[in-house]
Amino acid sequence: MSTAQSIYPPVQAIAAVVIRELYRRKDFYVLFVLTALITLVLGSVNFFSEEKVVRYLKEICLFLIWVSSIVIAITTAARQIPAERENRTLFPLLAKPVTRNHVVLGKFLGCWYASGLCLFVFYLFFAVISGAREHAWPIAHYFQGFMLHWFLLGVVTALALLGSIVFAAPSSNNTITLVVVTGILLLAGHLNKMALNLSEPMHTLVYAIYYALPHLEFFDMRELIIHSRPTVPWLIWLAALLYATVYAAIFLSATCFLFRKKAIN
Amino acid sequence: MRAILLLVIAFCLTTWLEPWFQRWKGDRSGDVITVALGDSRKLFARHFYVKADAYFHNGYYPTIYDVKAGGELHMAAAAGSGTHEDHVKEMDFLGQPKDWIDWFGRHFYPSEHTHLGEEECEHCKHGDDHAEHAEQTEGLEREMLPWFKLAATLDPEQPETYVVASFWLSRKLGKINEAEQFLREGLRANPGNFEILFELGRIANEHRKDTTRARNLWVLALENFHKADQSVQDSELLLHCGLLSSLAKLEQEQDNKAEAIRYFTELKKYSPFKDQVQAWIDYLK
Repeated sequence: MSTAQSIYPPVQAIAAVVIRELYRRKDFYVLFVLTALITLVLGSVNFFSEEKVVRYLKEICLFLIWVSSIVIAITTAARQIPAERENRTLFPLLAKPVTRNHVVLGKFLGCWYASGLCLFVFYLFFAVISGAREHAWPIAHYFQGFMLHWFLLGVVTALALLGSIVFAAPSSNNTITLVVVTGILLLAGHLNKMALNLSEPMHTLVYAIYYALPHLEFFDMRELIIHSRPTVPWLIWLAALLYATVYAAIFLSATCFLFRKKAIN
Repeated sequence: MRAILLLVIAFCLTTWLEPWFQRWKGDRSGDVITVALGDSRKLFARHFYVKADAYFHNGYYPTIYDVKAGGELHMAAAAGSGTHEDHVKEMDFLGQPKDWIDWFGRHFYPSEHTHLGEEECEHCKHGDDHAEHAEQTEGLEREMLPWFKLAATLDPEQPETYVVASFWLSRKLGKINEAEQFLREGLRANPGNFEILFELGRIANEHRKDTTRARNLWVLALENFHKADQSVQDSELLLHCGLLSSLAKLEQEQDNKAEAIRYFTELKKYSPFKDQVQAWIDYLK
């Protein structure tokens, strides 16, 4: 308890600075306005005088939310530590009773909370738009979808933080993390089917990658929301959140380890 | 000052670009989509047409990594032939879970085969029957419409899009005017297309009760069918039989027995149910 009490104040202080930084930057505002604009324009299109058509709108809006949230999470996380080093604010920060682990944890929590805040605004907009059109409010779907999405952003944020220690520039980190995340989202769930068609040793190798990769597609329940399918069983949903927590912890541990070893000047 | 400079530059550029564009000999006949996408628009159109089928299955649809039998899409088959059992078998592309990740992942995307209007809500799962759900699921076929429209915009030379959209509009959603208008758009893009003419005739006969117009449309469709290549005629055998049987039935209803027998006789050559067709001919004689 005393360890947690000693860790929390500096971590919380660093996280608060990251959240304040998000308010000042224009990334979120631009992406939100773009998402809202595209959704509203598409929502105004008339298809065969059918006013209740809504699923296409939900699909496009959720797609834009996914793209925007991943871009916000990666770009916010990737610049944190390099910016501190470049501005030489990392030295005074570490001169205080703050360890490198505190910095990593604080940056992670700040980025994750900030992503969650943006995501909440996006989902609120989505719920209002689809509710106004559909006259239905599937709150359980939205809650499950939002939480899974937020935990996915936790894994992505941790991965981007790890990248910021490994790669030299934030731009390369942004690109590589974005490609990796997109690749995992599109391919990870199908690697087992690919492995079945391969001969040894590729079969074992692809299967090993399949088991080792974080399956980010678990957190994508867009299709269930769009097609008004039943919600995910709550125990399975909790297990998915736990799965994300484990992967985020692994990436954060690796980040802390590498950051401790790295010369900051 | 800078704004004025920019304005002057923009104006000068316009005076130079506009005459250049008017003199340009390049192709400016196509619309913006054709110019921007070229022939790739057909790929996108096919994607959106398939998307409508995915919506028909409430998102339960194979990816490029899943093994799926080829052939007609189910939303199109619903407008034509095909048994339900064959379809259920064909759509069981997921099979048994291959590992625990596969099993776990299936909870997060649609992994049960249903069609639009067959969704289960929380009440249905508990075996309760309720009017609210029936009201909500009524007319859900409308959700496919945006993708048909988009597919037709991108590739207007695909008559199947118009015919399938018209089927859902007229038979399931009761939007006869919209269906007819969409088919006419299709006919403008594909002049004399026999599939579209056949569907227009069906609307005239079934919904407008205008038998003269239906006959004229079907006769024109049959003429255009006979003018088509042999390969096209062979691939559209079902449509040919449909045309002949529709015309024969129409003539029978109008008491034109000689014409009805003529169409039934022609139908007998192609129909797999020759005995039944002969029985109709005997009955009419």
